[in-house]
Amino acid sequence: MVRTAQGTPSSHSSGDPAAPPAAPTPAKRARRLRRGREGAAGYAFLSPWILGFLGLTLGPMLASLYLSFTDYNLFTAPSWVGLDNYRRLFGDDQWLQSIRVTAAYVVLAVPLKLALALAVAMLLASPHRGQGLYRSAFYAPSLLGASVSVALVWRALFSDDAVVDRILRSVGIETGGWVGNPDFALLLLVLLAVWQFGAPMVIFLAGLKQVPNQYYEAAEVDGAGWWHRFRNITLPMISPVLFFNLLLETVNSFQVFTASFVISGGTGGPAGSTLIYTLYLYQQGFTHYQMGYASAMAWMLILGAGLVVAALFRMSRTMVFYSGDEGR
Amino acid sequence: MVQWTGGAARSAAAVAMVLGLAATGCGGGEGGGSPEIRYSWWGNAERAEMMREAIALFEEEHPDITVTPTFSEYDTYWEKLSTQVAGGGMPDVLQMDNAYLREYSDRGVLLDLKQHKQSLDTSGLLEGLSTAGVIDGARYGVPIGGNTFSLVYAPELFDEAGAPMPEDGWTWQEYDEALTAVSEHTGGDLYGASDYTGLIWVLEAQLRQEGGELFTDSGELGFGRDRLAEFWESAAGLREDGAVVPADEAEQVKPLAPLGANLSASEFTWDNMLTRYVEESDLDLELAPLPTDSGDSGQYLKPSMLLSASAQTGNPDAAAKLVDFMINDPRVAEIFGGNRGIPATEGQREAIDYTEVDQAIVDYEDDRMSDLQEAPPAPPAGAGALETEFIRLSEEVHHGQMSPDEAAGEFVSFAERTLSS
Amino acid sequence: MRSSAATWPRRVLWHALALALLGLIMYPLVWVAGASATPTNDIVGNTQLLPARPVADNFARAMEGMAGISVWRFLYNSLLLAVLTVAGTVASSALAAYAFARLRFRGRNAMFVLMIGTLLMPFHAVIIPQYIIFQQLGLVDTYVPLLLGKFLATEAFFVFLMVQFMRQLPRELDQAARIDGCGYWGIFWHVIAPLSRPAFGTAAIFAFIWSWNDLFAPLIYLNTPEKFPIPLALRMYADQTSTSDFGAMIAMSVIALVPVVLFFLAFQRLLVQGMATTGLKG
Repeated sequence: MVRTAQGTPSSHSSGDPAAPPAAPTPAKRARRLRRGREGAAGYAFLSPWILGFLGLTLGPMLASLYLSFTDYNLFTAPSWVGLDNYRRLFGDDQWLQSIRVTAAYVVLAVPLKLALALAVAMLLASPHRGQGLYRSAFYAPSLLGASVSVALVWRALFSDDAVVDRILRSVGIETGGWVGNPDFALLLLVLLAVWQFGAPMVIFLAGLKQVPNQYYEAAEVDGAGWWHRFRNITLPMISPVLFFNLLLETVNSFQVFTASFVISGGTGGPAGSTLIYTLYLYQQGFTHYQMGYASAMAWMLILGAGLVVAALFRMSRTMVFYSGDEGR
Repeated sequence: MVQWTGGAARSAAAVAMVLGLAATGCGGGEGGGSPEIRYSWWGNAERAEMMREAIALFEEEHPDITVTPTFSEYDTYWEKLSTQVAGGGMPDVLQMDNAYLREYSDRGVLLDLKQHKQSLDTSGLLEGLSTAGVIDGARYGVPIGGNTFSLVYAPELFDEAGAPMPEDGWTWQEYDEALTAVSEHTGGDLYGASDYTGLIWVLEAQLRQEGGELFTDSGELGFGRDRLAEFWESAAGLREDGAVVPADEAEQVKPLAPLGANLSASEFTWDNMLTRYVEESDLDLELAPLPTDSGDSGQYLKPSMLLSASAQTGNPDAAAKLVDFMINDPRVAEIFGGNRGIPATEGQREAIDYTEVDQAIVDYEDDRMSDLQEAPPAPPAGAGALETEFIRLSEEVHHGQMSPDEAAGEFVSFAERTLSS
Repeated sequence: MRSSAATWPRRVLWHALALALLGLIMYPLVWVAGASATPTNDIVGNTQLLPARPVADNFARAMEGMAGISVWRFLYNSLLLAVLTVAGTVASSALAAYAFARLRFRGRNAMFVLMIGTLLMPFHAVIIPQYIIFQQLGLVDTYVPLLLGKFLATEAFFVFLMVQFMRQLPRELDQAARIDGCGYWGIFWHVIAPLSRPAFGTAAIFAFIWSWNDLFAPLIYLNTPEKFPIPLALRMYADQTSTSDFGAMIAMSVIALVPVVLFFLAFQRLLVQGMATTGLKG
């Protein structure tokens, strides 16, 4: 219903939305000319990015790819070892552990954080007094970043006999402190991520603000209920930002570093329970001086996370709806 | 696409070249003119302030040399330093840890300061520290301060609990009994000690007491899997009886150690850390001799930190002068007091008007000096990584996630891999 | 429906729900505020929310700065970096996003894939090659390594964010502008950019905060203490090899929160200026 309400102006059906529908040769030539100009404009607008990519990003990425096939201790020139680093990975229990930890983290943190962010964004999207204040307050935890102060707060909240433990005990759940318990320590990192839900919330808010009110009014007239409106108007209309948040939170969760670095003091403890992938990579590169091995880890991460990202993009083709896109 | 691959191969080759060049130092330094020295250290905010004063003094004395300071705290210091070394932007003078010394010197990035004897006088170093920083006849580091591994404890609590009091030649069993007594006496709010099998330095002390070493002279592991398993196993009873701080409680008070968080009555640590514990803890603390089963304490004077210079520096002489000034000038010692540990040279040691705590450390070292043995050679490259791995595996054992034997096996094979590469 | 039909019980319910959630989320922050007024030795492991007897000397020590550099200097450095980061990021990302979202040209999809690919690269695996580039250019210990990438849209996050928003804008607008004689720049400047203000505001906020809290890049690239931003100074209060001062550290991080909060308050207004308020119809 919404898709039709949004309208599919007939011009969208031709490949180029700007081109007038069907015409003989002179028009075709004009279109080619415009294509050429559009191409030039595209490269012109993209030129800062192209420069940055070629100058700052591509080189270091290729360098790390090269290093992943070498033995490189940071101080002497790298020496070629072929696939040794990659072979070694699969016999490395800690590497496998870091994959387990990271996978668990991604699977827990991403949906929880996004659900909370979307719920709060929807709460804040409807006009109420003091909205700006609420918005700022909900964003406040994200302002703090992941500093040593955060590590101290987290210990103070989740230690034995601290506030969370006391509340749980009052309802008859005995868990002891979570901080020192390897079974719970990862959960603390997840909760930290969920607590700092400000970024996706703000993006959701901006997305929600783009949904024209008429749609809701029309749906109201049709007598659509809350769930119906959410399912048929809100979700499709914010699907681009939803997709963006899902993709970025997933990618960022694969790479989360500072939180576990700060909370565990760089060890990934207790007992390896918070040994996030990038933390292990950091340890290999900068504590064990095995940058070749660390680079191999980086490229395995790119491969793994890349597959997930590709799957998400594939999914997005059918699930995400861009109202300003050319028709397909 | 084909073109792109060709370009990629070329840039990879270029990067490989740069990595090689940067490491061998073909970047070249300036030299001549009025030398500028970059000086890098780790430490807290207090130390940064003291350094500023010391550097001002140095520049007054050597108006032709400019010192540009840079600092960070310990954890991040090493990432910064290794990136700088890899990229050819190494500081001229830098603070160095004994555990990482060979990591850097073996790869030829440190300056042999012996070549600059005319600017750097090392004759004032304490006897026990005179060879620290020297590897195969070359001086890659000069100790700034010294410390010795020791036991910090709260006499009052030991006394109240009727525990055996520390004395020269007391045994490990007596110490364990003391811990049990203290923990029983306090009823579990406070433990006798944190689990000391989490410290590789306690293992080193025990090995030395038995006449062994952590690392052999050829840089291999000085102990086997069985000895390590036995070490971790030795505190199993203490863990079960609740005589030592349980692993999860120790985790909760990080970044403090249990002693600093009023959770335990004793802690094995370097003697200069007494300053920190006295500040953190509510208890009255003192230094005590290490327990030993052989009558031999195994203690030695270790450099708490060293100063090294870059092999790539354009001004080796000015760098040597700065090192000389930092370790010998009595005014520098007055500025720092005990912040850098107890000074490594006689001249600086005597110049300080010590605080009560620092005086206690000096007295402890003086008192034990006759007992202190010759220091082992600088640990092999990879020792820093080994210590990290030791801590991780200890945690696994303490949390009951691994058996001592299993963890010991993993440590030994990790050590073999790390030390051979 | 939304504005008019909200009856008072619903309003009360809304505020109650929002406040309850807020209480939960603000608890840790209140602890931080409390800790900044707690004597430094009582902070670690302190499970109380607020100190029994608040003290101010943590702030006094934090305001002393370090190594003769005042805390204002660190704040100024952070502010300079953050403001330039925001300017560079928003400008360069907007240009790239317009190209990706609205223009058709050869290689667009391939470049988009490459851009997304750069998101996947872990920082610590590329930091050494990146350092080498800036070292060779003699730019270490300047702000250039921290800012250049921001002006060249290297943070794919922001480009992608804006792409998602720009793709939502109706195509008819471009056509109308073209009929009015606008070129691609004109369309971007007069049509797309004004309508993307919420996206720009979002990007500005994130860019500011992330720059403000960034520790590792300044750590690697800056040597002179006078150039340090706040996070580097903060870390100096917690050195594991010497005595730590958690009180001063938390006090300084509370001080450092003030500018970010102000920036957020100023820019969050942009977020609400969506299409719904500019009166455009989909």
